[in-house]
Amino acid sequence: MALFRKSITPLTCAAEAMSRMFSTSTAREALQKMSRVRVVDNSSLGNTPYHRPPKCIHVYTKNGIGKVGDKILLAIKGQKKKALIVGQRMPGPRMTPKFDSNNVVLIEDNGNPTGTRIKVPIPTSLRQMEGDYSKVLAIAQKFV
Amino acid sequence: MRIEKCYFCSAPVYPGHGMMFVRNDCKVFRFCRSKCHKGFKKKRNPRKVKWTKAFRKSAGKELTVDNSFEFEKRRNMPVKYQRELWSKSVVAMKRVEEVKQKRQARFVMNRLKKSKELQTKEDIKEVKQNIHLIKAPHAERPRKLEEKMVQTLQEDMEMAEDS
Repeated sequence: MALFRKSITPLTCAAEAMSRMFSTSTAREALQKMSRVRVVDNSSLGNTPYHRPPKCIHVYTKNGIGKVGDKILLAIKGQKKKALIVGQRMPGPRMTPKFDSNNVVLIEDNGNPTGTRIKVPIPTSLRQMEGDYSKVLAIAQKFV
Repeated sequence: MRIEKCYFCSAPVYPGHGMMFVRNDCKVFRFCRSKCHKGFKKKRNPRKVKWTKAFRKSAGKELTVDNSFEFEKRRNMPVKYQRELWSKSVVAMKRVEEVKQKRQARFVMNRLKKSKELQTKEDIKEVKQNIHLIKAPHAERPRKLEEKMVQTLQEDMEMAEDS
């Protein structure tokens, strides 16, 4: 079978040139480094205005792509802070909602949320996810 | 499990179908298919898009005010759980649905009845305009002429007899 994988007939000059032209890097999706993010809890760090929007500087997953339920490192007001992604603009698995902005909830290192209330709707798929999100879900007021 | 309504076309969205979008003012929009979602993204007003229920209701093409719609309205008072109420509600829902469908169908039929009258009027007009295809325009004339001639002849004869 492997023998048949390689084309037996040599490609023409134009075809060879064409086959060298496409990029083979993977598509980058959802949240990654340098993504600007919207903090949705009522923590002072997330709500006080600063001249630069909070940006993601690291994603704690195997690939550098953050989806709903992943933890990321944020640069806010000149500080580093961990956060949990609770909503993304990119469509996710079927039966999960799509949000108008990439929403994030600030979190401590042990997983406790920094704020005390989340007014923005949170996807219920977070309940099923692996990881202890119970404290974040406890302060959420609306589920979608 | 709940069967939602599509924001754009008001079709029922069953679980596993369609898409949900949450806007930053926390308003939730459900769409039954990408056609509706794309229309929404293009900022189309569903009340102006001809095939949606919103247009049909606002343009008077479908039944809007009826008692059978009152059953579907959302109530914000929670009802105390009673077993018979629960089971009777299911039976009532079926009956209400039947009644509602019949009334909606009747409304549409009544609306379409007007076309029959207009059609007969049109047909009469068409026949009058194109009668020359069926019957020659002066077909009656020779007989009338003949009758007239017969009549004048008879009068002449009578006059001749009298004089």
